[in-house]
Amino acid sequence: MLLRTFFLRPVLRRPLRFVTTVIGVAAGIAAVVATVAASRAAVASLREGVNEVAGRARLEVTAPAGLPEELLGRLLPLTGDAVVVPVIEEIALLPALGDAVRVLGVDLLVDTQVRDVEPDAAVLASGRAANMLLVGSGVLLPQRLAERLAVRPGDPLEISIRARRRTLTVAGTFAPRRFASVWDRVLIVDIALAQELFGKVGRLDRIELVPRPGITEARLTAAARLLLPVDVTVEQPRARAAAASRMVRALQFNLTALSGVSLFVGAVLVATTLATSVVQRRGVLALARSLGASRRQIARSLLTEAVAIGALGGALGVAGGVLGARAALTSVRSTVAAVVRGVPATDIRLPLWLAALGLLVGVGVSVLAAILPLAEAVRTPPVQGLVGERPAFLHRPSRRRAAAVAAVFAVLAVALARAPAWDELPVAALLASMALLGVLLVAVSPILDLLARGAAGPLARAAEGTPIRLAIAALAAGRRRASWGAGAVGVAVALAVAIGTMVHSFRTTVIDWANQGMRADIWIRPLAATTGVQVGRLDPEVVRVAERLFGKDVIDPFHTATAYAGTQPVTLAGGEFAVVARRGGVTFRDGRDSRAVFAAALAHRAAVVGEPFASRFGVCEGDTITLHVADGTLSRKVEGIFYDYSNQQGMVVIDRNDFLRHYPDDGPRELALFLPSGVDPAAARDRLLAALGGRFFVEALLNRELRAEVVAIFDRTFAITRALQAVAAAVAVLAVLTVLFALLGERRRDLALVRALGGTRLQVAGVVAAQAALLGATGAAGGLVVGLAIGFVLVKVVNVQSFGWTLRFLPPWPSLAVTGALVTLACLLAGLAPALAAARMHPAEALREEG
Amino acid sequence: MTAVTELRGVSRRYLRGDEVVHALRGVSFTLSAGEMVAVVGPSGCGKSTTLNLIAGVDRPDEGEVIVCGTDLARAGEAELVTARRRHVGIVFQSFHLMPHLTVEENVALPLALGGRRDAVRVLDLLRRVGLEGRRGHFPAELSGGEQQRTAVARALVHRPAVVLADEPTGSLDSASGTAVLRLMDELRRQEGSALLLATHDETIAAAADRVVRMCDGEIVAVL
Repeated sequence: MLLRTFFLRPVLRRPLRFVTTVIGVAAGIAAVVATVAASRAAVASLREGVNEVAGRARLEVTAPAGLPEELLGRLLPLTGDAVVVPVIEEIALLPALGDAVRVLGVDLLVDTQVRDVEPDAAVLASGRAANMLLVGSGVLLPQRLAERLAVRPGDPLEISIRARRRTLTVAGTFAPRRFASVWDRVLIVDIALAQELFGKVGRLDRIELVPRPGITEARLTAAARLLLPVDVTVEQPRARAAAASRMVRALQFNLTALSGVSLFVGAVLVATTLATSVVQRRGVLALARSLGASRRQIARSLLTEAVAIGALGGALGVAGGVLGARAALTSVRSTVAAVVRGVPATDIRLPLWLAALGLLVGVGVSVLAAILPLAEAVRTPPVQGLVGERPAFLHRPSRRRAAAVAAVFAVLAVALARAPAWDELPVAALLASMALLGVLLVAVSPILDLLARGAAGPLARAAEGTPIRLAIAALAAGRRRASWGAGAVGVAVALAVAIGTMVHSFRTTVIDWANQGMRADIWIRPLAATTGVQVGRLDPEVVRVAERLFGKDVIDPFHTATAYAGTQPVTLAGGEFAVVARRGGVTFRDGRDSRAVFAAALAHRAAVVGEPFASRFGVCEGDTITLHVADGTLSRKVEGIFYDYSNQQGMVVIDRNDFLRHYPDDGPRELALFLPSGVDPAAARDRLLAALGGRFFVEALLNRELRAEVVAIFDRTFAITRALQAVAAAVAVLAVLTVLFALLGERRRDLALVRALGGTRLQVAGVVAAQAALLGATGAAGGLVVGLAIGFVLVKVVNVQSFGWTLRFLPPWPSLAVTGALVTLACLLAGLAPALAAARMHPAEALREEG
Repeated sequence: MTAVTELRGVSRRYLRGDEVVHALRGVSFTLSAGEMVAVVGPSGCGKSTTLNLIAGVDRPDEGEVIVCGTDLARAGEAELVTARRRHVGIVFQSFHLMPHLTVEENVALPLALGGRRDAVRVLDLLRRVGLEGRRGHFPAELSGGEQQRTAVARALVHRPAVVLADEPTGSLDSASGTAVLRLMDELRRQEGSALLLATHDETIAAAADRVVRMCDGEIVAVL
């Protein structure tokens, strides 16, 4: 009975409010589910890429620059205990697909004992196919990929390996024994062919060990270690998967935290709805108390409403989240792929736990948001004790209390922003942002009070401002609901301002960095996938062609490899210091001229390191760093620390000659050309491409083109943050709409009275529209201030703790002003519907209802 | 005396579900300047409907409602607004004050809605209803009698030709009710306004110049 009276009946009578609240929660949940699902899918492809491909291999032998093939011979004594399998695993570009594929070079005769793939029967039966695979250029394709590319056995397959155009022959297809999307983008070739294609003759990427029955991993590990050099690692494949996941952990965390803000706005919307619903039903609740309803019964009915909103919103949000995730996957995948250098795609899957979590979070957020309205509901006295509306202004103790709570939140925010990262994640800094939102929510009520006080006074003295005065007075009277509405707007504006400031600061810093550091005239690199991610390296022949055309003195091939600082993977790079010392390059943190730094580094055989490396390992100029490299350890003095926004895990750059003493020349990642003055870059590019003669899939970008691309990649990477921003803004507008309809409901009698006393429809509509604009303006003003503070935390703390990047704090003032104006306008527009409803109201009926 | 309000053959019907309710059936009467008329009858007899029609917040289905020369039955929205602003003042049973405006602001509201201001007039009325000292208070801080006195001042602030009072003492104790009535009568005389009072209380009606007795939407007697 109570449930029907307090929940079902009001919901059925005014379904719009219930529906808008459910949509608000759904939008928040959808944002979280979409972000989590998309980023998990991208990260899952890393893990799957290791675990699925590893198959039954329980151990793998690896080293930073791969292994010499002779190690296979050393492991011969293990063949009684394990199947020993050599592997080459590389990334290549499949031009027909426009995307990266994983190329797996294996010993086809033994590999069926390792991997869960089944070559089709025809391949096994055909001697021609076997011959093609073992001694020709045969390749096995996954069935789904073969169908997509419409290729059959015997067909040629063009592929870009180290940017070189190669043509393989389709020998047959294979299917994974169980579903795993990672296999959709894997090509299998014989290991000898893989070694030749990738310039790894005599070398292996890893050796996998599949224990025979009865042999434990521990025993096999111990036996392998005895046979292998000390600088070789023997570990489980999942350790490599975990390392790959760790690289994108900060990115995943930040995206999830960002989507959580949309959910926070949704929670404010739920609180707004429930708070207004309690106020509207105050009389009914009081009557119920008089007639014997207990506080518990009233609480139960309100909680039921909260749970219903949460469950419905959660369910809709989970469904919407899956759709959103598909849209977000491209953006997230590109970002993740850029971090780990080329990850094939994977499907979006909605695990049951994520669906359940979305639902639970929806319900949890709604119930949490119901706490304050619930407290107000259970405090409702019986009808005999119900007094008239409280005075419009806040009492002094209330004002002081609000100021004190806001101050506590502000102090908390400062303390959290100064706290160090927790487990390399900016948890405290993001909590500081939440505390700043707390300041906003607490401060809104006294701000509305101040506004009302400022506007108070005899109407006779401000007759022309009557609608505004009435609007302010009504907001002050319904301050608690109005505070929630303005708070929701404020949170959305704060989010928009904070993200806008962070993105603008980041963008401007990166553009300046690109302008100052990218001084070469032409960049040559392998053709990128359609995701914009560079795939693989350049064939060394490209370097030789460029040297022949332009001379060694103007060429800077940039090599990269993985090295280890302790157990942490970092990027070790090699560049032509002699060339950069003449022409200049990246910007150094201490302001020194890059030419001088590179000259000194060349003279002293020192290294320069990127800022993320310096932050991550606490390195300063003059320190000596030691890395585990291909052939042992490498110790170098740090000559300078440069700004680096291209790399999160940390980069150490040494001279190319130094680099090639430790790593084989697999080809550089890219090549920079510093042309002599007076040479036309476009003509030089044409000469180079003509000399390469269509044998390579390369891109040759002029300086301005590369800089433009840096900005384009930046904008693509941040597309998802803009989408999340839009979701939060939409939820905030819903909150304003809810509040306005609630205030309209509360003030229905007053508005009817204005009409009865001679107010025009326009004046009545003006009162409601002015309320909407005031709510929007108050929220926008508070949101701007708090958003700038959060933006500062994001720029100066979160970015440094997450990625080790130092950015300048550069708020985009003109667009911030436009944001504030647009939000106020959006609220004004949101107020049009209730304003029209108010104007259409029949005064006689409204007064009779209440009288 | 000049007629400030005239109802001619006024009928008003409402739909309550599928049922048609005849709130007024062919009602005609005249209210002259300075006159006090009481409309009496049981609940649902049409008293409030009659007042709403004269206040211009409702329209008849048939007949004419002429207030200060304007037929409100056929008037446009702008004319209805003008009639409410200039010619009519209203006192409600449950006061209907703006809870978030002060006493002074409540009284000034009809002037402000018309874009006018007259602080002297507002203060004068507040003094005359005995609320000068409470001008800065909000309605929730006043007694019922004080709230109704505020409503009386508000009804007269723009010097209307007609003051409509719908059960003005219905929410008050008898002492407060008597005081409010006496005040309304006194102010009406001073201001020269006509007063149309809807009540079911015969003792209140006895103070009027004329009594219009209604039943089931019809005038059954004029005394």
